Amino acid sequence: MKKETVAAEIDRRSIWLLLIVKGRRILFFLALLSFLWYIVSIPVPEGLTPAGRNAIAIFFLCLILWVSNVIPLAITSLFAIVLVPLLDVLPRKEVYGLFGNEAVFFILGAFILGGAVMHSGLSNRIALFIMGRFGASPKRLLLSVYLLSAVLSFFMSEHAVAAMLFPIVLDITKSLGLKPGTSGYGKLLFFSLSWGCVIGGVATFLGGARVPLAAGMLREITGKTIDFVSYSVAVLPLVAVMLLVGYLILTRAFPMDVESVEKVHEFLEKRIRAIGKVSYTEYAVGLVLLLTVIAWATIGKITGLSTIALTSVVVLFILRLVRWKDIEAYVNWGVILMYGGAIIMGTALEKSGAASWMAERAFGQWVVNPWTAIAFFSLFALLLTEGMSNAAVIAILLPVGVGLTQRFSMDPRIVTYAIAIPAGLAFALPISTPANAIAISSNYVTVKDMAKLGAVMTVVSWIVFNLVARFYWPLVGLGY
Amino acid sequence: MKMKNILLVLPSSGGAGRAIAHAVGTAKKESATLFALYVLETEVTEDALERLTDMGFIGERPSTELSEAITKEKRQRGYESLGQVQIKAMEEGVEFEPLMEQGERFSKILEVIEGRAVDLAVIVRKKERTIARYLHRPFFDELKEKSPCAIEVFDED
Repeated sequence: MKKETVAAEIDRRSIWLLLIVKGRRILFFLALLSFLWYIVSIPVPEGLTPAGRNAIAIFFLCLILWVSNVIPLAITSLFAIVLVPLLDVLPRKEVYGLFGNEAVFFILGAFILGGAVMHSGLSNRIALFIMGRFGASPKRLLLSVYLLSAVLSFFMSEHAVAAMLFPIVLDITKSLGLKPGTSGYGKLLFFSLSWGCVIGGVATFLGGARVPLAAGMLREITGKTIDFVSYSVAVLPLVAVMLLVGYLILTRAFPMDVESVEKVHEFLEKRIRAIGKVSYTEYAVGLVLLLTVIAWATIGKITGLSTIALTSVVVLFILRLVRWKDIEAYVNWGVILMYGGAIIMGTALEKSGAASWMAERAFGQWVVNPWTAIAFFSLFALLLTEGMSNAAVIAILLPVGVGLTQRFSMDPRIVTYAIAIPAGLAFALPISTPANAIAISSNYVTVKDMAKLGAVMTVVSWIVFNLVARFYWPLVGLGY
Repeated sequence: MKMKNILLVLPSSGGAGRAIAHAVGTAKKESATLFALYVLETEVTEDALERLTDMGFIGERPSTELSEAITKEKRQRGYESLGQVQIKAMEEGVEFEPLMEQGERFSKILEVIEGRAVDLAVIVRKKERTIARYLHRPFFDELKEKSPCAIEVFDED
């Protein structure tokens, strides 16, 4: 009879080390809950209510979870939704009522519209057409990728744009025979894709959904609103300067080591021929999107942005331009939990008085006038967004920022912009934003390249942002 | 002792000219069969996808399309790398077998070493700074510890 031998591997590390390694997740959550329990059980500090103290405990718990990413971002928000009524920060009815915030439905509508544009193939066609039409030389092709990524991110989620353009840009690099890791032009193309999406994503309410979130939180906290047009008017010069500076930095950092892009044109023409003529669905979806943007810009203040967004979604279904299962494939429903939870947490911090209390103690000595408030919060948002989701940055900083600026009689919209806009400008790390992670996954851009140029771009962003805020914003009614 | 099977583990990016020359040269000297392994790593792809779904709240379809594009590209690069080794092996008259495996690099290398009774494994690692090399050292240490054959590590070109 054949004798079988079983080899057992013995782990010779210390039992304590093994227990820590195996149970580190449970230990982490136990430590976190102990921390929460400790804060809610300490005597209430002077100037704070028990609800405020508990709101601060939830705030730090969410901060740790959002930074560490041990659970999905949306689930951290869900945790906040559970804890706010449980720790008596806000009544249960009010907490769940905040879920019906207009911003959540606007974001939902915008994501569904973006999904419909992608599903119809319209965005893909536009991308191929623009690159084919304007990318006649290496320089112009690069500019096409850069500006196309930016402009598409004005109308759709920047993350979706990066995912959609990635295969096209990859095929371009292949048709040119560029070598991953070393080709300067390959790096330029993927940096253009990533930076174009990041910069373009802050231009409107539609780019990354962070602006509607900030607007929703601002409305809950102060009752003030931000409309579609005035936001874009305030931010477009910044976007234009950043795009220019970004292009100059990139083209000086890497050589354009290709002489001709003839082969790219052959490839693009083949792809354009393969998708055929523009279909009824593409025309119709494009028209719905166009009318939606016009409505947001013209009657958005009267009807509300979310009403227009949801009406357009209904129209898409009435005209049978999309099916529910198509939309399900393009939208991650965690977005509702994330943004709903962030609004609930922000409101809880503000209504309990925790936001101003915390702001005063943490930042009061540095932020002494409106100018330092903008400089400080924009810098803080830029740095935080490199390590965590931009929605989480807004959820954490906005209640504190608005709380602090109340003492300067400053328009709270200004500090909202000072947090929401830089929160979208993440350039330095692949973990900062999906567009960066996508660029790194191409293997053309290395983490070192990204960290080096991204650090430069972060400094530039801060300077440009503060210059725009100081000299341009007063011209459009945002003086301070 | 004469070697029968030599394994060359190719990097997912970067050049491997010195490692290829060494592995082919050794296989020729020992009259051994040369296996070249390219591991189609999924970690970076998964990282990008995780960011898309968790931070970008993008649905399954764009994520899947992105994943397919990245995997397709990596596979293509793998074929090109294996092709380079094949040419070199043919020139030197070395018996050659290309291998492409998808999954986690460490376990796939060990699987091939054990499954093909490899006598010597030549592995290419990425050029890294001292601190990063210190952090990644356990990968090769662990491999040397667990592998039944000798391991030679080369830096990418």
